[in-house]
Amino acid sequence: MTRSSIVADFVVRFPRMIITLFAAVTVFFALQIPHAELDTELKNQLPPDLETRVNLDRIESLFGGTDMAMIVVSSADILEPKTLSRIKRLSKGMSDIEELDRVVSLFSAKDIRAEDDMMIVEQAIVRFPSDADGREALRRSLANNSFVYGNLISKDFRHTALIGFLTLDASDEVLVEKLENLVSNLAEEIEEPGAIPNSIYIGGMPVTRVSLTTDMREDMRKFLPIGLVAMLAFLFVCFRQARGVLLPFVMTVMAIIVSMGLVPLLGWKIHTVTILLPVILLAVANDYGIHMVARFQEDNTPCARASSKDLAHRGIVELTRPVLATGVTTISGLLCLLSHIVVPAEQLGILAACGVAFAVLGSLLFIPATLSLLPLPEPAAHTRALASQHSLLDRILLAVAHHVPRHARSIVFACLVVACGTGLGALRLVVDTNPMSFYGQDEPVWRSTHILNERLGGWAGISTIVKGDIKDPKVLRQIDALETHLRDHEFVGTTTSIAAVVRKMNLVMHDNDPAFDRIPDSRDLVAQYLLLYSMSGDPEDFEKLVDFPYEHAQVLAKVTDSGTRAATEVVRYTNSYLAQHSDGPFELVGGFLHVMADLVNHIVRGQLLSIALSIGIVGVIVGGLMRSFVAAALAMFPLLLALLMIFGVMGFAGIELNLITALLSSIMIGVGVDYTIHFLWRYRDERRSGLEPRVAVRRTWATTGRGIVFNALSVLVGFSVLMLSAFLPVRFFGLLVAISIAACLVGAMVVLPALVVIFRPRFLEPTEASGVGSGPTAPQAPSTRPAS
Amino acid sequence: MTITNKTARFSTAFIAAFFLVFGLSLLHARASDAPSAREVMVKVAATRKLAGSEAVIEMTILNRKGEARTRKIAMATKLFDGGKTEKRIYKFVAPADVKGTGVLTFDYEDKPDDTWIFLPALRKTRRIVRSQRSKSFMGSEFSYADLNVPVISDFSYRHIRSESVDGASCWVIEALPTTKKIAASEGYSRKLYWVHRTEFTIRRAEYYDPKGDLLKELTITNTRLLDPKNKRYRSMHMEMHNRKNGRRSIFHSEKLEFAPATKDEFFTMRYLERP
Repeated sequence: MTRSSIVADFVVRFPRMIITLFAAVTVFFALQIPHAELDTELKNQLPPDLETRVNLDRIESLFGGTDMAMIVVSSADILEPKTLSRIKRLSKGMSDIEELDRVVSLFSAKDIRAEDDMMIVEQAIVRFPSDADGREALRRSLANNSFVYGNLISKDFRHTALIGFLTLDASDEVLVEKLENLVSNLAEEIEEPGAIPNSIYIGGMPVTRVSLTTDMREDMRKFLPIGLVAMLAFLFVCFRQARGVLLPFVMTVMAIIVSMGLVPLLGWKIHTVTILLPVILLAVANDYGIHMVARFQEDNTPCARASSKDLAHRGIVELTRPVLATGVTTISGLLCLLSHIVVPAEQLGILAACGVAFAVLGSLLFIPATLSLLPLPEPAAHTRALASQHSLLDRILLAVAHHVPRHARSIVFACLVVACGTGLGALRLVVDTNPMSFYGQDEPVWRSTHILNERLGGWAGISTIVKGDIKDPKVLRQIDALETHLRDHEFVGTTTSIAAVVRKMNLVMHDNDPAFDRIPDSRDLVAQYLLLYSMSGDPEDFEKLVDFPYEHAQVLAKVTDSGTRAATEVVRYTNSYLAQHSDGPFELVGGFLHVMADLVNHIVRGQLLSIALSIGIVGVIVGGLMRSFVAAALAMFPLLLALLMIFGVMGFAGIELNLITALLSSIMIGVGVDYTIHFLWRYRDERRSGLEPRVAVRRTWATTGRGIVFNALSVLVGFSVLMLSAFLPVRFFGLLVAISIAACLVGAMVVLPALVVIFRPRFLEPTEASGVGSGPTAPQAPSTRPAS
Repeated sequence: MTITNKTARFSTAFIAAFFLVFGLSLLHARASDAPSAREVMVKVAATRKLAGSEAVIEMTILNRKGEARTRKIAMATKLFDGGKTEKRIYKFVAPADVKGTGVLTFDYEDKPDDTWIFLPALRKTRRIVRSQRSKSFMGSEFSYADLNVPVISDFSYRHIRSESVDGASCWVIEALPTTKKIAASEGYSRKLYWVHRTEFTIRRAEYYDPKGDLLKELTITNTRLLDPKNKRYRSMHMEMHNRKNGRRSIFHSEKLEFAPATKDEFFTMRYLERP
């Protein structure tokens, strides 16, 4: 008596106890879910000792928040008084938002100028122009104000930005809501007849973060239920039995509940990437249950004369090994996410692995226990599969099964050609997370970011910290040189620093003589300029530029491209300048944008590593189970094929390898391995029962294959619904899940059989002993090893 | 006997009533003798006007982290035009990099100030133009409005309660700007002053921002009677705490003298530019 039959005996004897136990566990975890806290703070996702995060902490400790939220106002002419008064109201409204610790706008920015013997530091706009002449005078004065021109107001005077620096503990959601309220209150007034039309958008990194997560959540909420219904409907068409549909589905939902309930139990929080958890489990976890139900149906032949209990018992005995094998490989594959240094990605791996483990246990215990209690159904449709009446789907499947072994070589060749051809697209794959690529050009987030990048000097900043005696002309000159160098970069728009202010004052105090548009030579003069400034400017004016004791300065370079690649490049460019000037006063480069870019890059690179690792582990496990190197190679083959396909399609379709798409490949490992193992296992059994390879392939298709195909198609149908979403990332998401499932399915059910027929690997061939004794489906080689 | 007794009883009651009424009216008279809130503030403005003074002040600005910027200023003030104009000159003594920097201000009663600044490193004097009284005084938490004598008619005053500050009995007087323009220029929606009842000096103040939230708190200690004849006071130690940004500014006088005979030539451009 094997261990699996001991388990089977127990399950059949005490089904109610098992069902109660699973229900109790699920309810326990479900009760934990409300305790789960949301944490969308991106910074927390990186280990605290990571360089970018250390740098950001340092910058924030010196200068407070560097993350910026913006309001962009567009108009035929910004200087039109009505528009100006609206901007003023927005500026005031922004200063009242406690999530912002400093607001820079046309109404807070300063102008330093000389007039006769006077030095004037005043607001960039002191009063609203009352007539056309006044407006032109203001236009000239703003055009001469280097702190404002091309930075807070576009050079064509059609756009202006109001920039708010976030406090360190600001909540994105709260802030964005307040900004939206501010804008919508004003918008109501503009709607009124006769009002001057203005377009007002909110933008910047916090706004992008919020709209990405909310839009994604919203669309998922809208489309995922439709997808689930589609999935269920498809499963019903396949199995024609409510239990065949509901049991694997209930098991999947239970696995999702348990894994989500684990989040607060482990003291973790729900992060942005955690939304992938139910998706991964939906695609992967129902696999095991479907096989159990399919086997139950398969064995329930009119001539079997078996009871529900007998069939359940038999299902457990027969499937324990393949289900455990697929479960263990899938779990190992998912645990490869642990290779990430990004905390939520690691957590995602553990949570998904636990969910799969629960689904595996449930498929071996809970589902058969339930089945054993239910009255025996009519033999299902599939028993007729090999007889004359087929459903359309069955007929198609049979036709494929019939043709695969016959045209094995051409199929392998064709698949290789298609995979390699598509795979060429991988060369065009861009590793970049540019949130703007997710939005249509009419979306407000896209508009604001576009205007900020094209007209207003950039959407987010990279900081360079300078350490030394900031009043020292040598240090200031080095800051000035760095700024000039930074502005040469294609992705850098405007830059700000204390050096620019000192230069401007030197120019103004020398009656605008261009020869003095430079840092003065005397340290005392610099100190006196700064003292002079303090007599008419605001004490907070330099808050983001220099620290209180004048020991550190910040050079802020705004980046004009919203992709992570641009941010990384600007940082690299700055760092190489710093390396060339290692004797300079520069301390470090960083900022919130850099942390974001670093986070995304770590996820993407980490994911590539984790995929490679998981494919290797799959090979090792399958090779070990089947005691064959060829088995290892065959198990990895469909995965590699699927990988090539998916990266190829992404390359051609212009979908970047980003945060979400990289993590999605975990699904591929999960499902790809399962399909392959199920196929190989059954095929070997069929061969050992004496069937000839081609017949064994057909038989495998008709039995286990049917479950695999139905399962894969149902998931495919379910996720295809996401392609109806108007939101690009969700659409990509659906497309990529569909492609990866389809590729794994084709790999396992078409290419693998073809290969097996061509090469007839020895580990799948019948052994001497196989003809005798064992039943037609009893596994041979590993049967000497314990079941688990 | 009975009659006498009656009379006596009557007269006692009468006298008691008389004294009661008289006492009450006396008390009433005393109460109406108390100066109105506005009168208090007029006196406050007067006690601050010194015919002339000379001082050395240490100005410390502390940020939230406790980092400090310290400057030392030598200054002189003198009243001109019969008290209508106060002229002030400041010379920076420390730190070394701003030593010799001078500021000359003519604070007129009826028009915006004139201010000149001399930068020794540039050897040039420039007039500086300030539009708002709410602007910070040399990067400190004190605004020009906080330091200058307020224009009495810019505010309406109300006596809210009495309270003691460091054992000194004070009136608490609320000042509200009379126009929106004044409110905008000062940067406050409301001010509260704790005024010493006999000295008419301010001991404490609170400043509220346009939303009505507490913005700054002023504490004044070590107030000295500099000109006993005219009852003119100055304080040796003022501390302004900004509740919004956590910064504090401390003006501490190392030396403070009543000097009505301060030379007029101190308050000239020539003296400003003298090293």
